[in-house]
Amino acid sequence: MSCCTCYTPQEEVLQALKEGRDNPNKAAHHRLFTIAERFVGKTPYIDIERGILFTRSMKETEGQPLVLRWAKALRYIAENITVYVDDDQLIVGRCGTDKCRYGILYPELDGDFFAKVLSDVASRPDLAWRISEEEIEQVSREISPYWEGKTLHEDIVRVLPPEVKRLTYNDEAGRNPRFIAMESGTQRGGTTWCLDYDKVLNLGMEGIRKMAEEKLAALDPNNPVHQEEKRPFYEAVIITADALVHWARRHAVLARQKAAEEKDPVRRAELLQIAEHCEWVPEHPARTFREAMQSQWLAQAFSRFEHRTGGLITNGRMDQYLYPFYCRDKAAGILTDEDVMELLDCLWVNIGQFIDISITPVASAMQGGYAAWETVCIGGQDRMGHDATNELTYLILQSRKESPLVHPDLAVRIHPRTPERFLHEVAETIKIGQGFPKLTNDEEIVSHFMSRGASRADSLDYTHSGCTEIRIPNLDMNTTPPVHLNLAAVMELTLFNGHLLKYKDELLTLETGDPASFTTWEEFFSAFRTQLTYCLKSTFRIQYHMHKLRGKHFASPLASSLHDLCMKYGVDLQTSEHIPGSVDSCFFDCFGYATTVDSLSAVKKQVYEEKSISMPLLLEALRANFQGYEAVRQILMSSPTYGNNDPYADAIGLDIDTLAQTFCIEHEKELGYDMGLRMVTVTGNISHGTDVSALPNGRLAFTPVSDGSSASHGVETKGPTGILFSNHYTKNFGLSHYASRLLNIKLSPSCVKGEKGTRDLMSLIRTWCDLRLWHVQFNIINRETLINAQNNPDEYRNLIVRVAGYSAYFTDLSKAIQNDIISRTELSM
Amino acid sequence: MKIRRFPGSEPPYFHYGERSAVFFPGCREHTASKDMSEVRHMKDVQGCIFNIQFYSVHDGPGIRTVVFLKGCPLRCAWCSNPESQNVFPEPGYNESKCLHCHRCLAACPAGALSPAEDGSIIRDAHLCDPRKCSADGNFPCAKACPGKAMFSYGRFVRVEEVMQEVEKDGAIYSRSGGGITLSGGEALMQPEFSAALLATARSRGVHTAMETSACAPENVMREICSLLDYLIVDIKLADDAGHVAWTGVHNGRILANIAMARREFPSLPIKVRTPLIPGVNDTEENIVNTVRIIRDFHNVEYELLPYHALGEQKYTYLGREYGMGDVLADYDKVKALQHMVDEMLGQ
Repeated sequence: MSCCTCYTPQEEVLQALKEGRDNPNKAAHHRLFTIAERFVGKTPYIDIERGILFTRSMKETEGQPLVLRWAKALRYIAENITVYVDDDQLIVGRCGTDKCRYGILYPELDGDFFAKVLSDVASRPDLAWRISEEEIEQVSREISPYWEGKTLHEDIVRVLPPEVKRLTYNDEAGRNPRFIAMESGTQRGGTTWCLDYDKVLNLGMEGIRKMAEEKLAALDPNNPVHQEEKRPFYEAVIITADALVHWARRHAVLARQKAAEEKDPVRRAELLQIAEHCEWVPEHPARTFREAMQSQWLAQAFSRFEHRTGGLITNGRMDQYLYPFYCRDKAAGILTDEDVMELLDCLWVNIGQFIDISITPVASAMQGGYAAWETVCIGGQDRMGHDATNELTYLILQSRKESPLVHPDLAVRIHPRTPERFLHEVAETIKIGQGFPKLTNDEEIVSHFMSRGASRADSLDYTHSGCTEIRIPNLDMNTTPPVHLNLAAVMELTLFNGHLLKYKDELLTLETGDPASFTTWEEFFSAFRTQLTYCLKSTFRIQYHMHKLRGKHFASPLASSLHDLCMKYGVDLQTSEHIPGSVDSCFFDCFGYATTVDSLSAVKKQVYEEKSISMPLLLEALRANFQGYEAVRQILMSSPTYGNNDPYADAIGLDIDTLAQTFCIEHEKELGYDMGLRMVTVTGNISHGTDVSALPNGRLAFTPVSDGSSASHGVETKGPTGILFSNHYTKNFGLSHYASRLLNIKLSPSCVKGEKGTRDLMSLIRTWCDLRLWHVQFNIINRETLINAQNNPDEYRNLIVRVAGYSAYFTDLSKAIQNDIISRTELSM
Repeated sequence: MKIRRFPGSEPPYFHYGERSAVFFPGCREHTASKDMSEVRHMKDVQGCIFNIQFYSVHDGPGIRTVVFLKGCPLRCAWCSNPESQNVFPEPGYNESKCLHCHRCLAACPAGALSPAEDGSIIRDAHLCDPRKCSADGNFPCAKACPGKAMFSYGRFVRVEEVMQEVEKDGAIYSRSGGGITLSGGEALMQPEFSAALLATARSRGVHTAMETSACAPENVMREICSLLDYLIVDIKLADDAGHVAWTGVHNGRILANIAMARREFPSLPIKVRTPLIPGVNDTEENIVNTVRIIRDFHNVEYELLPYHALGEQKYTYLGREYGMGDVLADYDKVKALQHMVDEMLGQ
C-alpha cells in the first residue's frame, strides 16, 4: 500500500500525546523529559546578572587595554554570578536563572537600546520575555547610562557617510533599520564561532595558562609592541583561564553543599560526582568521558559570558573530540552506551535552556522564534580524508532523534564515502519530520576552503557553526558579521531610477535612467548591473567600517586562548589585522535572490522578447501594486522562474552570482580580507520584504522576499531536483568567492514513505552531494501544512500531494478532496 | 452513492491498424546492437503528451521522470487522468484562475465560448472541436488567456525534446536506480512514439519502465516489452463481464498480454496492480481471482492501490462529469484485502 499519505513519526508522537499517552521515547530518556518538562513551551526569562556584572567591571577598568578589561570582566562575572546545580542534572553550568529558559544581556552591543525596548518585551505577542519592573529599573539605572555613547552601534552610526547610512538605517540615530544594505554587525560580537574543544579536553586550562606564561616570558622587554600589545593579551589569557576554572570550582562547592543536604543516596552520589568533576575540569585534562562532557560544557557555557556570538558558540565535532574518551572508558568497562545517552541528554537540556536574546528591532526581525544555533556536528572525514563516522556518531544521532527538544541543531557532514548505514540512519532521522539533521557537503566545503588557502588536512577538519556556516577553529580569524544586501531592493531601484516607492522622492542610490526609455534588455540589465554594483560598493563600505571598529569595542580572551594563531602571535580574535596563515571566511548576504532572478526573467521575457507588456504599463502596474492589473500580473507570472532547472531563468541567476563574486575578487584586497556572497536569510526575508514594493515576478508590495537560495513561493513545479539543479547551475564554482547557500527542500511524507522512501531520500542526498551544493535541510510536509495550505492557497501553490501513479497540486483540488487528503494524513499506518 | 457506468460520451478510441506494424525487429537483446542511424531517426518521431513529471517515486524503481502520453482505449469510471483519454490535444478551463477578462471570447474562432452570469466562461462542447481548431494543441483561447485559466491538455513533442527534459535529472537516476517511466493514458496507443522514446532512452543509458493497461495488440505489447527494464500493469477486474461494464473493454487481451510478457521476457520484473474501487472491484472474490491469475508467475509483484478522487477537478476543467460521485476509499477494507493478498502470496 504505497498510496495512502502517511504520518511522519513526529506526528505519531504528537498523536500519542494528544491521547494522553506518553512520548514513546520518555522511558529511555527519563532525565531529559523530567528536566524538559520544566521549561518547554514556557515564556523565558531575561536574566540581567551578566549585564550588571559586566558593566560594573568595565566601569572599574577604563583606560586599560581592552583585552585585559574583557578578561577582568569575565573574572568578575566568574567570581560573582549566581551558580546553579540543577535537580536531576549530571552536567552543570548555566549562565542565568534556573527558573526556566533564559537569555542574558550584552549591553556592550545594544545597551543603548535597553531603556527603550526592555519594557516592551514582556508584551510582545510572539516573542515574549519575562523581566520584572525592578530589574528593568535596575538596568536603566546601572547599565544603560554607562553604555550611552559607547556601543559599537552608536559608533557605526557616527562614522557612516550619509549616502551609505541611508541604505542601512531609517533614522538619524540608526535605531530602525532600512533593508537595502543593512548592517548586522551591531547585533552580535561576531558571526559564528566554535572553540577548539580538543585543547580544553586534552590540555585543560592549565595547559593554556602554561602556554601563555611561556609566551609572556619570551617577550622582548625592549619591544614596545610586545610590551603594549602582546603582554596584555597573554595576561588576559591567564586571567580568563583562571576565571573559567574558578567558575567551575564554585559549582563543585555548591554540589558538595547540596550533597550534604541530599537525602536520596543515589542523587547524593551524583552530586558528589559532579563536585569531583568540577574540581578537576576544565583546569586539568579530562580523564574520563564524563569529565570530558562536563569540561566541554563548562567552556561552552562560559563562552556565553564573553560574547553574544551570532549562531552562538557551537559544539564542534563532538563525535570526534569525545571519541578517544569514549573508547578508553568503554574498554575500561566504566561506561555504557546507556550512560552516554544519558549524558548527552543532560547536555541537550542545558543547551535547550539558553536562548540567544534578540531584543533590538533589527535582531528580532532577523531571527524569528527563540532562535539558537548551538550546532552539534557529526560525521564527515578525518584529517587524512577517510570517513570519520564512529560509534559515537551513531549514538549522538540516535539521541537527537529521540529527543523532543529543538535544540541543539544537528548538522551532519556528508561526503562521497559516507557509509550507507550512516546515510540510512540520517535519512530515517530526517523522515521524522522535525527538519534535522541539516546536511553540509564536504565535497563543496573542503575544496572551497582549499581554494581560500587552507591546507587539505585543515579543510577536512572543518566544523559546522551556526546556521549554515563553517569554521576551521584554528585557522579562521575573521568574524565580522555580514551586511545584508537586498537584491529585491536593487531590482526596484533599477525600475524606479534609484528610488524605492516607499521612500518616495528620496534618491537612495544613483540614477540609471527611466526604464521606459530603454529599448533593449541589454540596456535594462546594464542599469541593473550599475545599481547592483553601487549597492555592492556600499555594502563593502559598511563592512569596512564594521571590521575596523569591532576590534575597538570587543575582545575575546577566551576564544583567542583556544586559537593556535591568536596564541602564536599574541593577538585577539577580534583584531582587524590580517593574521599570517589565517583564512577569511567572510561574506555578505544576499536577500531575495529568487525574487530578483524571477523579476529579471519576467522583464526580459514579457517586456523585451514577447513584448506582451510595455515597460510603462509594467511600471504603472507596479506602482498600483497590481491593483486593477491582475492580467498583467498573471502574464508576468507565466515567465520562466528560478528553481525549476530552467536554463532561461538560471542564466540570469548565474549572471548575478558571477557579478557579485567578481566584485569581491576586484575589491576584497582593498577591504583587507577575502569576501564572498552568501545566501542565508533565516527569517529576515520577511523584514527585507517590508521596504520593497511590487516586483515584476508578481510579488505584491511589502510581502516577504524569497529565502536563502530557495525558489520564490509557489513557483516550483519540477520537484526537489528542480531546485537542486537550479542551485547548481546558478553558482559560479570557479570563482570561489562565495559562502553558504541555505537550501530548504519540502517533501511530502508519502514521498519518503517506507524503506523505498528512505532509499530515495538517500539517493537525493547523494545527488545533492554530487552537485556540490553547500547545505540542505528537508521539511517533510505534514497535516498542519496541508491545513495551512487550504487556508492560504497562494502560499502553497507548489505543494504536491503524491499518490501512486498520480500527483496533483494540492491547491488545485476541491475543498472536499483536500479534506479527504487531510483526513488521510490522520490514517495511522 | 451514485455511480454512472460509461461516463465518457465517446466510444473507446482505438488507434491501431496499419500503424501497429512491428517497428523494431527482435527483442531486448537486439536493441543494444541497433544501427545508430535508426536511433538517430527515432529522435524525430513525434508523439502527443500532456505532462512530464519529475521526481516520481511510486512509478518504478528509484526516482523517476514520468512521461504521460495522450490516448487510452479504456474508459474507466474512476479514471484519475481524464485528460489522457483522447489521443489528441484538447482545451481545459480552470475557473479558479480565471480573471473574467473575456479575452478568450473574441479569440475563439468557433464562437464556442460565452460568459456565464458570474463572469466565468462556458464552453459549448458541440461547437468546440479541438481537432479542427488546432490539431497540435495551440488553441487560440489558451493563447489569449493571461492567467492560464484556459490551457491545452496535450502537445506534440519530438522524442529528442522529451529526452532533453528527461535527461535533466540524469544525476539522480544513477544514484537512485531510476529512469524514465511511460504512463498515460495508455502509452501503447502511440506505439511508434513509445518505442522510439524507450529505445532512445535505452541507447543513452536511461532505465526504462512503463505503466500500462496492457490493452493493445499482442505485437505492440511484445515490441514495447522488449524495450523495457520494468513493467507495471493493472488488472482492474478478473471477471470479463465486469471488466467490460466498468472499463468498456474485454480483459482477455489484457490477461493474454500479461501472460505473454511473463513468458517471453522472463527477466523483466513485472508489478501487477489493482486500483481498489469501492463498489466495483473491492470484493474478496475479485481479489482472490486476480491473485489466482498471477500467483504462478515468477518475478511478479502484486499491489493494491486504495481509491482516490484526485482527478475529479480535472473533469470540471474538461467540462465533463465525474463518474464516481462522492465515493470514498474504505481504508479498513484495503487493509483487510492487503492482508489477504499477503497471505495468499506469502509476501
